[in-house]
Amino acid sequence: MTVEPDFPGAVPPERRSTVVSAGLRLGCLEWGDPAAPPLVLCHGMWDHARSFSVLAPLLARRYRVVALDARGHGDSDWAAAYSWPSDVRDIVAVLGTLGRPAHLVGHSKGGGQATDAARVAPDRVRRVVNVDGFGPPPFGPEEPPAPAQLAKFLDARRSLAGRNGWRPYGALDDLVERRRVQNPRLSRDWLRFLVFHGAREAGDGWRWKADPQMTHWTGPWRPEWIALSHAHVRVPMLAVVGSEPDTWGPLPEAVLGPRLAVVPNLTRVTILGAGHFVHVERPVETADAILDFLD
Amino acid sequence: MRIAHARLTLELHEVRQAAGAPLLLLHALAGSSADWGGGPAWPGAVWALDFSGHGRSEPVAGGAYTAELLAGDADAALAKIGPAAVAGKGLGAYVALLVAGARPDVVRAALLLPGAGLAGGGPAPYLDASPEPLEMTDPAHTFERDVRPPEYAASFARAARRILLVEDGPEPPPWWRAVRPPGETVAATDAFSRLAARARG
Repeated sequence: MTVEPDFPGAVPPERRSTVVSAGLRLGCLEWGDPAAPPLVLCHGMWDHARSFSVLAPLLARRYRVVALDARGHGDSDWAAAYSWPSDVRDIVAVLGTLGRPAHLVGHSKGGGQATDAARVAPDRVRRVVNVDGFGPPPFGPEEPPAPAQLAKFLDARRSLAGRNGWRPYGALDDLVERRRVQNPRLSRDWLRFLVFHGAREAGDGWRWKADPQMTHWTGPWRPEWIALSHAHVRVPMLAVVGSEPDTWGPLPEAVLGPRLAVVPNLTRVTILGAGHFVHVERPVETADAILDFLD
Repeated sequence: MRIAHARLTLELHEVRQAAGAPLLLLHALAGSSADWGGGPAWPGAVWALDFSGHGRSEPVAGGAYTAELLAGDADAALAKIGPAAVAGKGLGAYVALLVAGARPDVVRAALLLPGAGLAGGGPAPYLDASPEPLEMTDPAHTFERDVRPPEYAASFARAARRILLVEDGPEPPPWWRAVRPPGETVAATDAFSRLAARARG
């Protein structure tokens, strides 16, 4: 078996637990004093709870940090189908196990969903931090209209019949290479760490843990719909973005500004020198910004 | 008969066998194919689907019932029976609208009837506040109204405008108004004969 890779600053979780949401088992990792005030971490698409291995210990100096694997990701169960609201419900379910309101921090998709969880469960959320989870740039004119998008989604659903997993890759480094194409700013050492925990080694090679069904996600969607939800967030929110060009960011102010302007109680921070994975590229600065906001 | 939709197994009922263009019936929220009884008068085969988590179809493990997922249910039925007219009630009407817009080559005509769950994806952020239950309070059985502004439904109505028939009911959802101008309004008494005529072209 391949030896678990090291990464500078990465700390293994101190505890593991399982939360059942809508019948699915969700894997949770914990860092910090169990008696400290709770803080929940929500990862992005195709990531997993171990993607917070550097940020979590920095936040755990003050909080009981709980990072969940979203359904279909990491060590959580696969679902029969996926939707944005069901992911949000899973976050609310984890919040419900903590015994008191918690701070909520999410990255990318997890940032958007943490924001929605704060909207629908304000009694369980003290403050919310959204790390670059404000959606992609607006679609261009080449983006097909909703009926054509749904047709593509339906085609994909038809092609899923009988497909229950990924094909195996021969070596861990093949997966690293696959992920490097998607996230070129991330170092090979980090990707090796991330991918090791996001894949399983079996007799015939390495397979992603994440459910391939999520490739087609939930059908037609438009980034401007984010504002319809974010306008109703009542708890204080910190928006964290990086300064550097990356997969789809940083969003120009003309795009990001209006998406954030609807949030009633907003604080903004830009972390210099970071791309989309702000907490991976600049973990100390990101943790400081979050801790400043939560105090 | 049992049909597959990705990992889900659904029940597609053959209500009536006949030569001629088939009709697919889509029930309302919390309903089932049994709600159609012996089916309407129709000059062809009549099929009625149980949506995921309804009737004799499998529940969706983990919930995540969305209108788009149910459109996948309807599309799986169409893959089995071929080009057909589609009639839906309530949530089934919303799903019929989605499938008619997305599959113009397969849906010959679509009839939208009032009923439970007509709001479909819903026009406003909505979650958990007062979920419309499929089997009461368990979130694994909650139909989800995602953020879908009325323009979303309207784009499907425009795409399907030549094949859309609608029957007005009380308190239509916001998207219904957007559907009415392209769609032709029909009375309950002759809705299915009009649908058959529209399906013939």
